[in-house]
Amino acid sequence: MNTITVAMFVIILLVSLGITAWAARRTRTTSDFYAAGKGLTAAQNGFALAGDWCSAAAFLGFTGLTALYGMDGALYAVGPLVAFCTVLFLIAEPLRNTGTYTIGDVIMYRMRQPPALAAAIVGTIVINLAYLIPQMAGAGVLIKLLFGIPYSVSVILVGLGMIVYVAAGGMLATSWVQIVKAVLMLGAGAIILFLALAGIGFDPFVLFTSAEQKAGPSFLLPGNLLKNPFDEISLGLGYMLGLAGLPHVMTRFYTVPDATTARRSVIWVMFLAGAFFACTTIFGLAAVHYLGPQALRTGNPGGNLTLPLLAQYLGGGKDSVGGQLMLGFVSAVAVATILAVVAGLTLATSAAVANDLYVNLVKKGKVDERQQVIVARVAAVLVGIVATLLGILAEGVNVAVLVILAICISASANFPVLALSLFWRRFNTGGVIGGMTLGLVSSVGLALIGPAYLGPNALWPLVNPTVVALPLGVLGAVLGSLLTGRDAEHEKRFGEVTFRIQTGVKSG
Amino acid sequence: MDVVTTRGAEAAPDAWIEGIDSAEFKTLVDAKQRAIVPMMVIYIVGYLGLSILAGFGRDLLGIKVLGPVNLGFVLIAGNYVMSWVLGVAYARISAQRHDPLVALVIDRAGASRRPR
Repeated sequence: MNTITVAMFVIILLVSLGITAWAARRTRTTSDFYAAGKGLTAAQNGFALAGDWCSAAAFLGFTGLTALYGMDGALYAVGPLVAFCTVLFLIAEPLRNTGTYTIGDVIMYRMRQPPALAAAIVGTIVINLAYLIPQMAGAGVLIKLLFGIPYSVSVILVGLGMIVYVAAGGMLATSWVQIVKAVLMLGAGAIILFLALAGIGFDPFVLFTSAEQKAGPSFLLPGNLLKNPFDEISLGLGYMLGLAGLPHVMTRFYTVPDATTARRSVIWVMFLAGAFFACTTIFGLAAVHYLGPQALRTGNPGGNLTLPLLAQYLGGGKDSVGGQLMLGFVSAVAVATILAVVAGLTLATSAAVANDLYVNLVKKGKVDERQQVIVARVAAVLVGIVATLLGILAEGVNVAVLVILAICISASANFPVLALSLFWRRFNTGGVIGGMTLGLVSSVGLALIGPAYLGPNALWPLVNPTVVALPLGVLGAVLGSLLTGRDAEHEKRFGEVTFRIQTGVKSG
Repeated sequence: MDVVTTRGAEAAPDAWIEGIDSAEFKTLVDAKQRAIVPMMVIYIVGYLGLSILAGFGRDLLGIKVLGPVNLGFVLIAGNYVMSWVLGVAYARISAQRHDPLVALVIDRAGASRRPR
């Protein structure tokens, strides 16, 4: 543990608590709590999206995967950018035009039947927990490593932080914590990129030649990590459609005043996050060049410490002030990254519990504004506690695969249901339930009998089942709609839905 | 870009019936489809193609095409450029073509609209 890391981390913590205190005084209505009063600009939401979408898996993971497995790491990094094409073309503006705070809002607006909303709530909560647990566990491991604090205490500290941000400051605090984190992350990335390229005379080709010399000729080929070809396709499909169904990222589009701003915020995040993803590939190759493959394989589980180690080397090495400074900075940013992502997840989950489940499903919307805010804050505390407990229980479990599972469920269950709700006249409540059920069950079922959990005894060869679960989810959605009969009134109302998707105009 | 905002726009309960049948609305939907469909095709072919090659065309992606850089890394770089170009192109087309049409459709549907 070094004092610089601690000092930087304390500064980041104080800044984010300051933000929370400021935001708490401005958070009075449900619109404030869930959507930051719908008042963010395109640039602000773009930075917040970057802070929300770049988890520790991106900040630390992609660099590590590239350093250990070559091209597969670069394939992991480019997908999360390309995924925003789906969001931009199909989801961001229609979602902003039809919903209020959650994905459940959109489904309920389209279907007007409680079972459809219930299915949407299940999808949101399962995906968010599958995403949240590995973030908590990752935070525990990382903080234990950086500060020497025991795992469970680390998880509790992170849980406490996110509960305070979300319950007190709502979406306004969450957004600004994410914006600050994105600025820090991009700043760290720019410094490391400059130092890494300066050492090789700004000629990135050196990195490719050097990587092949040091790590062997097959290093720059695909397949070093994802041995099964279908896992590569699952990865691509999962990103392509999964991001557009992730509740904690999609609800960010409710924080801007209109669809035009939502669209422009996508362009911002594509450049901000995309540039960072591209950098992780360079960082991974640079780590092989500067540190060598042997040094990277010792005491570096999953490659997650590659970026801190590279930063330390570029700063001047282990015993230099510059090296300590860089290591401290990158480590502190890594913790800030986790805090920003878990805050977003906690907020989206509590919105599903408070807004969708309690207010709209149980109370049929008959809850006054003041009470709604209280319920939302209570839900945030409860969700935070559950996530913290699950995070503690997850110690030592292979949690990395849960992120893949979250994206797989999102692509196979949430995305088909959301997209068909927006664009298919014939789609109905039966389809929502069919798609959600089959997408969810096949994702979870196939992942559980796959190599991620059963290792060599796996009954099924793929780590990531998206390539099969996605078609099954779509099939469930289509069959569910076709088998439950037609409803002329419901299909006629699709005109109103289409009109609102395109214009944002509410009828009546 | 700030031609129109639909914040707080509300219409009569059946404004959409006239709205969706109006020529302006059909023009809007057509214009959007003309922009979105080709872009979707480009990026699905570009990205899913890369993913499929990463699975089944591993030797092909290993061919050196740019000094020490193989085809795989060139295609990965191409996917970054493709995403950025499509994003900017879509945003420009939307701002220049779609947004004014949306404003027109809302006016014709008789919705009260509050300009920003």
